[in-house]
Amino acid sequence: MIACILIPGFELRAALRARPGLALRPAALAPAPGGEPLVGPVTAAAEAAGVRPGMRLGEALATCPELVLVEEDPAAAEAAWEEMLARLEDAGFAVDPEEVGCVFFETRGVERLYGGVERALERALAAVGSTWDPRAGAAERRFAALAAASVARPGQALVVGDDRVGEFLAPLPVDLLPLQAAEQQELRELGVRRLGELAGLPGGAVAERLGPQGRRAWRLARGGRRGRVHGRRPPAEIVERLEFPEAVGNELTLRRALGALVERALARPERDGRFVRKLALSARLVGGASWRRTLTLREAAAETDRIRIALGPKLAELPAPVLELRLELVELAESTGQQLALVAPTGRELEGRLREGLRQVRASTGGGSVCTVVEVAPWSRIPEARALVVPRDD
Amino acid sequence: MVAHSRGARAGRSARRLNEPRPALVEPGFDGTPRRVDRAAVAVLREEWRVVDRWWTEEPVTRRYFDVVLESGRNAVVFRDEEKGQWFAQNA
Repeated sequence: MIACILIPGFELRAALRARPGLALRPAALAPAPGGEPLVGPVTAAAEAAGVRPGMRLGEALATCPELVLVEEDPAAAEAAWEEMLARLEDAGFAVDPEEVGCVFFETRGVERLYGGVERALERALAAVGSTWDPRAGAAERRFAALAAASVARPGQALVVGDDRVGEFLAPLPVDLLPLQAAEQQELRELGVRRLGELAGLPGGAVAERLGPQGRRAWRLARGGRRGRVHGRRPPAEIVERLEFPEAVGNELTLRRALGALVERALARPERDGRFVRKLALSARLVGGASWRRTLTLREAAAETDRIRIALGPKLAELPAPVLELRLELVELAESTGQQLALVAPTGRELEGRLREGLRQVRASTGGGSVCTVVEVAPWSRIPEARALVVPRDD
Repeated sequence: MVAHSRGARAGRSARRLNEPRPALVEPGFDGTPRRVDRAAVAVLREEWRVVDRWWTEEPVTRRYFDVVLESGRNAVVFRDEEKGQWFAQNA
């Protein structure tokens, strides 16, 4: 069977670990900077006061004036989530994380170890820890397992047999479907509020009205495909951090610090010559907040310069000065070498490759997107008079 | 026939590199920037003037400031004395 462990409002719970006193008060995750002013997950006290996740900030504060807004702490959430996944893996579950707060695993391999599906789910809930209020669901289909976990109470495990999937899903709300807000709204306007009502409609009509996403939602409402769960490869635990004596916001200093971190991480003996496929850059910011970005390299690499160039632009996204910068090598490739060309392309061949590359860029971004910088008066004291950007259409 | 959109046509002609961009600057009593794009200026690193093309009908008179904002970001802004407006530019 496919099992799902769900922790609603994981980001808020992770942020509240540093401020446990707020857990019993009306609190909500503050909107992300630069995003829509919508509150994130809310505490039980806030929900009792009428605040709902996704509510407009102004409306939430008007509904509950004593509402405390908690700033998101993505680095802490990621660290807590990783710890939790490691505990599940230690208990023998090959986890396939969907997103922070939602993980799937296959129970077949551990049913005999723990004495059945229910016992295995209990073990998984215990591995997560009761402080997180996890819910578990299991079914033969992935979406049904997620739906079961969504309706289970905290600490409860709900198992749905394949013969009961349709009957189980029918009364559940369509909010469970992975649809955009506009599509959910369209369904509600059409009077479709329950999965059973959607499943009862002709598939062709749903696809015509809502497009491919609607067709997928319709299929899920009927139980979805059986699918398979692929256990993740446990992450490489190579982490390097650099603490600054005082907050740093200067990009040049941060780039130098990043260069030092990349060098130190690549020099770690645990890497064992393997190439890096996925990295995570995180920072502790002034004021206690945190920031984190992950990057998957198109081609696994072990060169300091390539990794530094790939990560460099992420530093421009830092919202505040940094107290600590941290680099994780999240995933390492198995390869320890790279196939190089015996003869490096030169002359006409190199020119042909460049032209082909530019043609592809032009094809994907439109005419005028490939340009050449032509210096016209590099000596000028007026910066914009020094060079022109000329489109290349050859 | 469908005409080219303005953006598409603009994308196909040569343009200047590093054109000045309008900036929201609050100057102090001495004319130096205090806030740039709503962020307070932490340090004024350098200041210089550019006076050029005074012999033409489009003279250039600018007072440049290289500043570090409280967020740690570096910015170069200038006041165009001819137009009486503030701009940002990579100088």
